Amino acid sequence: MNDSTETLQQTPEITRKEMDNPDKTDFRQDYISFRNYNFYYGATQVLFEVNLDIPERQVTALIGPSGCGKSTLLRNINRMNDLVDGIRHEGELLIDGTSAYDPTVEVISLRKRIGMVFQKSNPFAKSIYENVVYGLRVAGRKKKSTLDEAVETSLRRAALWDEVKDRLGESAFGLSGGQMQRLCIARAIANNPEIILMDEPCSALDPVATGKIEDLIHDLKKEYTIVIVTHNMQQAARVSDRTAFFYLGKLIEYDETEKMFMNPAQKQTEDYVRGRFG
Amino acid sequence: MENNASSTSTKSPAPKGEIWVWFTSLGLVLGLAMVLFLFGLILMRGFSFFWPVPVVQLELKEDSESVFRGNTSFAGVIASTQERSLQEIAVEEEILLEEEEEVEADGILGQALQTISEYRVFVGSRDRYGQSFRYFRHNDILERSFPEDIIRAERRVEGDAFFFPQRIQFQDGSEVTREDAIFEDELDRVVKEARSRRSQINRIDRREIGPINLEIRQLTMDLRYLNRIERSEGELTEAQQAERERLTGRIAKLNEQFELLRDQADELRETNQSIRVFYEYADGTNGQIAIGDLFRFYYPNRLGFLQRVQVAGIQFWEFVSGYPREANMSGGIFPAIFGTFVMTLIMSIAVTPFGVITAIYLREYAVQGPLVRAVRIAINNLAGVPSIVFGVFGLGFFVYIMGGTIDSLFFSQAQELGTPTFGTGGILWAGLTLALLNLPVVIVATEESISAVPRGVREGSLACGASKWQTIQRLVIPASLPGILTGMILAMARGAGEVAPLMLVGVVALAPNLPVDGTFPFVHLERKFMHLGFHIYDVGFQSPDSEAAIPTVFATTLILIALIVVLNLSAILLRNHIRKKHKGSAF
Amino acid sequence: MERFFDKELDKFRSDLSIMGAKAIEQVRKVTEALVEHDVELAQKVRDADNEVDELEKQIDAEAIRYMTLRNPVASELRLVVVGMKASHDLERVADEATNIAKRIPRIAEEKPLKDYIDLPRMSEIAIEMLDDALEALFSNDLEKAKAVLLRDKEVDRLDKQLYRELSGFMLENPKVTTVALELMFISRSLERIADHAGNIAEEVIFLIHGKDVRHTPVKKILKED
Repeated sequence: MNDSTETLQQTPEITRKEMDNPDKTDFRQDYISFRNYNFYYGATQVLFEVNLDIPERQVTALIGPSGCGKSTLLRNINRMNDLVDGIRHEGELLIDGTSAYDPTVEVISLRKRIGMVFQKSNPFAKSIYENVVYGLRVAGRKKKSTLDEAVETSLRRAALWDEVKDRLGESAFGLSGGQMQRLCIARAIANNPEIILMDEPCSALDPVATGKIEDLIHDLKKEYTIVIVTHNMQQAARVSDRTAFFYLGKLIEYDETEKMFMNPAQKQTEDYVRGRFG
Repeated sequence: MENNASSTSTKSPAPKGEIWVWFTSLGLVLGLAMVLFLFGLILMRGFSFFWPVPVVQLELKEDSESVFRGNTSFAGVIASTQERSLQEIAVEEEILLEEEEEVEADGILGQALQTISEYRVFVGSRDRYGQSFRYFRHNDILERSFPEDIIRAERRVEGDAFFFPQRIQFQDGSEVTREDAIFEDELDRVVKEARSRRSQINRIDRREIGPINLEIRQLTMDLRYLNRIERSEGELTEAQQAERERLTGRIAKLNEQFELLRDQADELRETNQSIRVFYEYADGTNGQIAIGDLFRFYYPNRLGFLQRVQVAGIQFWEFVSGYPREANMSGGIFPAIFGTFVMTLIMSIAVTPFGVITAIYLREYAVQGPLVRAVRIAINNLAGVPSIVFGVFGLGFFVYIMGGTIDSLFFSQAQELGTPTFGTGGILWAGLTLALLNLPVVIVATEESISAVPRGVREGSLACGASKWQTIQRLVIPASLPGILTGMILAMARGAGEVAPLMLVGVVALAPNLPVDGTFPFVHLERKFMHLGFHIYDVGFQSPDSEAAIPTVFATTLILIALIVVLNLSAILLRNHIRKKHKGSAF
Repeated sequence: MERFFDKELDKFRSDLSIMGAKAIEQVRKVTEALVEHDVELAQKVRDADNEVDELEKQIDAEAIRYMTLRNPVASELRLVVVGMKASHDLERVADEATNIAKRIPRIAEEKPLKDYIDLPRMSEIAIEMLDDALEALFSNDLEKAKAVLLRDKEVDRLDKQLYRELSGFMLENPKVTTVALELMFISRSLERIADHAGNIAEEVIFLIHGKDVRHTPVKKILKED
C-alpha cells in the first residue's frame, strides 16, 4: 500500500497474492478474455460488445441488476448456454489464450477444465462419495485409490471433510443446505479444474453457511481462477479482488473491488453499489 | 387487514355452494360402496368355495314333485333357498297348473302357498343324477338329518359325490367292511397310498416319459423329412442314409425306454384300479369306485371349526397348485395362474425397455416440433384403441408375419409338415401383444417422470463434463425410476386382466404343458398357455354344467384379483423403496 | 465464527498499537531532551514525526478499506471508527512532542530557571495516561479508561501551578521572559497530550458502551453505570 510500511515488516493483505502463490508469480491478466463479445438468445441480444479480461487466480465478481447479462456471461465461459436453442454469439472468448468456440475444442473437455457451482445446490441422488467422484467417473476413472484420494482432497479443500468423513456412503440429501453447496464445490474441484464458476452460490443459504462458503472462496483462489455472480454487494466486496458491473448487457465498469466500492468512476456503478439504483 | 377483521366478525351462515361439497362426497361414497360391494362379493363367494359345509340328508315325500327317478332320499349341500311363485313355475312346467288347482281345492295351504320355497341343493354325483344341482321344495321334505358317516368324495371324474362307504376290496379279494374297527383308518390309508402312486405316475408321465416323447417326436419328424427327400430325389446320399440308420436306431431305443416306463406307470395304474371302495348312496343304492379315482374325501358332518379351516386350507392349496380336470370343471388352476404370471412378466420385460427408450428419445433427443407433438397425440390415442384390435394386430403381425418368418428360417421342417412352432399363438406373442397394448401407458408415465427431473441436476452433471447420454444414464433414469415403475404397475394391472386380445394370440382353455418347465430349453415361449381371465370365461360359459361351475368362477376371480394385487403390491413396494432412496431430489 | 478477513482487523489493531508506542516514545524522548537540554535528541524527535504521520495515513486507509469491503457493523464498526479517531489523537500527541522539540534549542542555551520537576512529572503522567488509554482500548477495559479521565485533572493542576510560577519569574526578572514563555508553551503542550489521552479514553468508553461521553463532566461519566 505504501513504501513506508516496510518498516513494519508486514505487507498489506491486498498485495499478498504473490505470497499465496510463491511458485508462480506471473499470472495471466487475461486468463479468461471476452473480446467484443455479443450474445443473442434468438432475436434478443443480451450481451453488447463486452470486453473483459479476467485475471488468473483471482476472484472476479460480476454484479448488476437482474437481467443484466451477468449470468449469461458466466454460462458462456463453460458453454452451458449451448443447451439453449437459438443462441448465437459474435466476437471472441479466449480461455488461457485458446478460443472456447474453436472447432477443435470439445465442449466436454472444456467443461472438465471449468467447474461450476449453481444457485441452488444440486447434489445428485447418490452418496456423498459418488457425488464427489461423479466427474471422474464420467471421465472413465475407475481406480479405487484414485477416487478415494480425490474424495478426500476435494472434501478437504471444500472444508467439508471433517463434517462428512464418517458418512461418505450416506445420501447427499442428508446434508444441510450449506453442506450441500460445499459438496457441490467439492464436486467441481474433484475434476481438478482451472476455473470455478459460481452462479449466486449463497443466495439460498443462511448467513453462517454463506460465511463458510465465502471463506472457502477466499481460500480457493490460491489455486483456482474464480468467477462469481452475486446479487449481494457486500459479498462481492468481501470475496472478490476485481468487480465487473453490468447493466442492460453492457459492461459499465470493471476495476479493483476496492476502487469499485469506494470510488467508482461511473455514476451508474455508484448508484448501484449504493443501492440507489433506478 | 381491516376488511378481513370485519368479514370474520360478521356472522356468516354456511358459505354458498357448500352443498356441492356434499354432492361430490356423495359421488365418492357411491364409488367406494360399489368397489367394496364388488370385493366383498368376490371374497365371500370365492372363499365359500373352499369352506366345507355340513351335508344334509333329505327324505322326501313319496310321489312329490321333487322325487327324481324314484329316489326319495338325497344327500347334498344346500346352496341357496329361493322363493318361486307357482305362476312362474307353471309357465315353466305346464303340468303344474293342474296341481295348483288341486292345492287350492284342498284349501289346506290356501293363499300362503301362492309362492313356495325351494332349496337348491348340490347333490354331486353327476354320473347318477345328470346334474350337480337339484331343486327340492320345502313342502316335499319329510325329514332332514345330518348323518355322521357320510363322506364327501372328490373324484377323478364327474365331480364330487356324497355317499356312505361300506367296504374296501383289496387286490387279493380280501375285504374290510365298515363293521371292522380299522375300516376308517384303512380307507384313509388306501386313499393316501393311491395318491402317492398317482403322483408317481405323474412323475413318470411328465418328467420321464415327457422328454422321451418329445425326442421321439423330433426324431420322427427328422426321419419323415428324410423320407420325403428320398421320395422326391429318388435316392439319399450316404451321409443321409447313415443319418437315417442312426435315427431309426435311436428311436427304437427310446421306444424301448418308453415302453419300460409305460409299463411301470401301467402297473401303478393297475394297482389303483384294482382296489375298490364299495359304497351306498343316501337312497340305499350301491356303487363302487376304484381307489385311483377317489382323490380325497372328508366327513363333512364330523368336522370341528379348526378341522374345517384345515380342510379349507387343503382345498385352497389344491385349487391353486393343482392341474385342471374334466374340461376345467374340477381340479386346480395352477397352469392358469402360472400362465398369467409368466405372460405378465414377459409383457413387463418387453414393454418397459421399449417404452422407456421411446420416452427418452421423445423427451431428451427429439427436436420438439409439430412432428413430435403429433407422435405424442398418436401415442395417447393408442391407449384408447379397443384391446381386441390389438389382438387382431398381434395375430396378423406377431403370429403370422413374425412367427411365420421365424418358422421358415429355423423350423422349416416342422412348418412344411404343417405343425407350426412360432407361427401359431403362443405366450411370447401374447406377451408382446399386451406389451404393445400397454406401451402408451409406460411411455406417458416415463415421459412425465423424466420431465420432472430438475434442470439443476442435468446442468450439474453437464458442468462436471458428463455427456448428455451419461447424464441420462446416470442421473435422469435413476431419478425417474419411480415414475417408470408407476407406468409398469399400471401396465401390469391392465395386462394381467386383459382377455379379449389373448384369445387370438395364444390362450387356450387347456394347455398340455406349462410355458416354463424342466425340459430343455426350460422356457418355451412358443407354447400356448392358460390364463386366469380366459379360464373364468371358459369355466363360466363354456362348461357343460355351468351352474356347478359358478363357485369355481368366483374362486378363480378371487385368485386373479389376488395375483394382480400381489404383482402390483410388489411393484409399489419396489417403487417406494427407490423413491425413498431418491427422496429430496426435487430440492 | 472466524472469517478470513479477521486478520485484517488484527493487523489494524496491531498497527494502532505500534503507532501508540511510537507516539509515547516521542513524548518520552522529547521529555528527556528537555531535561538534558539535548538538542540532538530533540532533532531526532522532530525527524521521527513523519513516521507517525505515515502510520496515521495507513491506519486511516486500512479503516476505510475495511469499511468499504468488509461491511463492519456493531462493535466491529465502533472499533474501526474509534481506531481512526485514536490514530488522529496519537498523531496530535506526536505533533505536540514535535512542538516541544522545536522549543528545546531555544531554551538549551539559557540557564535553567529552576530544576525540571513539574514538567517531567506532567510528562510522566501524560505518558501513563496514554499507556493506560491504549491498553484500555486494546483490552476493552472500561475501568482503566475511566481512571485515565480522572488523572487529567492532575495534569491540569500542574499546568496551572507552573503557569503561576513562571509568571512570577517573569515579573521578578523580565530577562527570563523568553525562557519562561517557552516553558509555559511546553507545559501547555504536555497538558494537551494528556487531553488527547483523555480523548482516547472517552473513545474507549464509546467503543465499549456505544455511548458518546465527550463534553460530559467527568463526575457524571463516573457516576453512570
